[in-house]
Amino acid sequence: MDRREFIKRAGIVVAGASTLSLGGLLAACAQDGAKPNDTGGVGTGTPARTDQVIVVLNASNEPAAGFDPFFNWGCGEHMHEPLIQSTLINTTRDMSFVNDLATDYRVSDDALTWTFTIRDDVRFSDGTKLTARDVAFTLNGIRESEGSETDLSMVEAVTAPDDSTAVILLNRPFNALLYTLAVVGIVPEATYSASYGNKPVGSGRYVLEQWDKGQQVILTANPDYYGTPPAMKRVVVLFMQDDAALAAARSGQADLASTTALLANQHVSDYEILACKSVDSRGISLQSKPAGGTKTEGDDTYALGNDVTSDVAIRRALNYAVDRDALVKNVLNGYGTPAYTVSDGMPWASSDMRVKCDPAKAVEILEAAGWMLGTGGIREKSTGSGTLRAAFDVYHSSSDTVRQALANEFANQMRGIGIEVSVKGLSWDDIYPHMYTDPILWGWGSNSPSELYSLYHTEGSSNFADYSNPTVDGYLDAALQTQEVSQSYPYWKQAQWDGTTGIGPDGAATWVWFANIDHLFFKRSNLVVAEQKLHPHGHGWAVLNNVDTWSWK
Amino acid sequence: MPELPAPVSQPTAPAPQAAAPVSQPTVPAPQAAAPASPSGAVLHSPLRRRLPNRRLALVLFVVMLSLLAAVVCAGIALAPTATATDFSQKNLSPGLGHLFGTDWMGRDMFARTTAGLATSVLVGLLAAGASACIALVLGMVAALGGKKADGVVLWLVDLVMGIPHILLILLISFALGKGFWGVAVGVALTHWTSLARVVRAEVIQCRQAPYVALARRLGRGPLDVAARHMLPAVLPQFLVGLILLFPHAILHEAAITFLGFGLPPELPAIGSILSEAVTYLSSGMWWLALLPGVALLAAVLLFDRAGACLRSLIDPYRAQE
Repeated sequence: MDRREFIKRAGIVVAGASTLSLGGLLAACAQDGAKPNDTGGVGTGTPARTDQVIVVLNASNEPAAGFDPFFNWGCGEHMHEPLIQSTLINTTRDMSFVNDLATDYRVSDDALTWTFTIRDDVRFSDGTKLTARDVAFTLNGIRESEGSETDLSMVEAVTAPDDSTAVILLNRPFNALLYTLAVVGIVPEATYSASYGNKPVGSGRYVLEQWDKGQQVILTANPDYYGTPPAMKRVVVLFMQDDAALAAARSGQADLASTTALLANQHVSDYEILACKSVDSRGISLQSKPAGGTKTEGDDTYALGNDVTSDVAIRRALNYAVDRDALVKNVLNGYGTPAYTVSDGMPWASSDMRVKCDPAKAVEILEAAGWMLGTGGIREKSTGSGTLRAAFDVYHSSSDTVRQALANEFANQMRGIGIEVSVKGLSWDDIYPHMYTDPILWGWGSNSPSELYSLYHTEGSSNFADYSNPTVDGYLDAALQTQEVSQSYPYWKQAQWDGTTGIGPDGAATWVWFANIDHLFFKRSNLVVAEQKLHPHGHGWAVLNNVDTWSWK
Repeated sequence: MPELPAPVSQPTAPAPQAAAPVSQPTVPAPQAAAPASPSGAVLHSPLRRRLPNRRLALVLFVVMLSLLAAVVCAGIALAPTATATDFSQKNLSPGLGHLFGTDWMGRDMFARTTAGLATSVLVGLLAAGASACIALVLGMVAALGGKKADGVVLWLVDLVMGIPHILLILLISFALGKGFWGVAVGVALTHWTSLARVVRAEVIQCRQAPYVALARRLGRGPLDVAARHMLPAVLPQFLVGLILLFPHAILHEAAITFLGFGLPPELPAIGSILSEAVTYLSSGMWWLALLPGVALLAAVLLFDRAGACLRSLIDPYRAQE
């Protein structure tokens, strides 16, 4: 067959085939005209799969070290349920516990030994059985991992006397460990390796189908999951910057796209704003000691102390003078709630932390303490060595415009009572050297009371105020010792204010909390997102905690 | 201009009564505006009354410099307004109350832009001045200090030019802890190279000149010759080079601040204005980027034109153009 002949015949074949297929297609349409796209193709106009959801998260949420709990997956700085792995226990919406892998757990009378019984019908996605040995391996591994963001320093050792019993020995009573265990995913001892983060094997609701670094993560329902099978079979998570996320919503490529208060006023047809309430608090730390001290942490030595904020009158006045509702309205466009503690809305938050905005009272407090109006409308106080101006700097991360705006609005408000606040934006590396001297605009808040301990206990890991009060320490220690976490709530609250002492605005007032930031998303109108827990700090994966129960209407 | 007569007579032809004042005295009668009667007087009269080239260049130069000085003064005066936040006035588009609109913290963008330009011009002034001094000294050393000194200076020039400008400024600024001084030193230490080459070439050329050779023969020392005879000859090129360094310095300052390695966000600067604006473009706030960007461009062009004017005034090779 020569070339011309070949082309001729090929042409006939192709034409015939296309005629046939066209005819077939027409026939198919005639037969079943209502569902022309039933084959589930991905062409334009195809309705979205009803058991799949496409979620856009900010690019900063892509886990750099992969899906490895030994680094920060789930139990890192920003806590969320690990999805791919399962946890011993889980928290509910009202912060009580339900069992996941555990069938039962109890604590010894000295509050130092926790014994967990593990269910015996759980298999990892590679088919091996999950036993108490895997639990011990995971917890010991996280405690010893150099790169771990999880504080397990209170854990002495974890052992597995048999396949269904895990025993956690503590070196000091710490019942808040349960909240940590609710986000620590259990990994298999047999196959865990350094590359686990890229190819995670777990026993959770989903398995990792695909991870294109820098782009997307695809999770599919785990067919061997021991609990209720996920209703949402496939979860695609895309990583984008805020403006790309908005564009993805506009073009209909995402079902849920994270956004900020600034972009939330954009109208996208068929989408609505999902504002998830949070315990993601913004506030400033106020040093309680006068300047001149130092603080040593590991190899680093920090300067410590601030002459202005070490006066408790200043700290209390700031707490009374700040108009939190104005902060929410002006800076967050209403997408937030006033913050009075690091844990607003949690069962361990004390209502005594709430203060009414009262600049007159703030002025009264200042004048009683000797802070009188001086030149330029800024208050001054005469001390032994001269006069001290009521002026200090507030540092914020220069890349965070919301914190910049909060700090500036705070400075505007404080000028009204004669306190001069200078706002300075730096990178975090340049901010940390100031953390024991100057107020810094932090973001805190998690689904665990242990932050109260970190921020306010003498030994706390983030005691930026260098605050030390034996009464408060006593309450915090007592809270960690109770047999049931629900019994600890009164102690946590008393540490905040017991009627005479505490960290509250009438007490040490070592923090001024500004606002809890709503976590905002563009949501396709017919997507039903299940009711959320109060989101912790970190605007990301927490929204997916219960993605298995989402649905389409 | 070969067709001189035509344009002269054209304006007078369609409207004889409203003839241009320039051509009135030269054209004897309005009706005789035909191209056929070009008298000798027409040929020699100027097209229109205009300032002599040099005086024009001087005026332009002075006007541009005073414009820039005005921007700096206004910027310094507006600095408190530029950083004042007013959340009741946020996200306003340009209008009478706020010429350039306001940003997400209610800061007036006109005040911010002016203050930012002032910061930029001051950083540019400092950096370009320092850079030019380095260039002058190194150029002189290279040209007068013998073969080895020449080699070292040329090697330095190649070294600095071999590294991309932005990268080098970024490194220096970062090493010095960013901020005003980081940027100023970074820009100063990177912009002297081409001017040093120019100075070196000028000095070498000047060294061959008979009057310099004569001075040396008469026993003048090398430093004395450099200061008395070379410097005045090189000065015009140097001044022009100095002025033309400004646009580079300003643009690099803005670029490095845009990238987050320059001035801190609480200091008004065009670079930080632009980098903040990027976040807000997708919410439709075009004025945050456009107007400050145009203002920066205008300032840079002003410097560039001022430099060109100065060159035509004092550069011996261009002064007659």
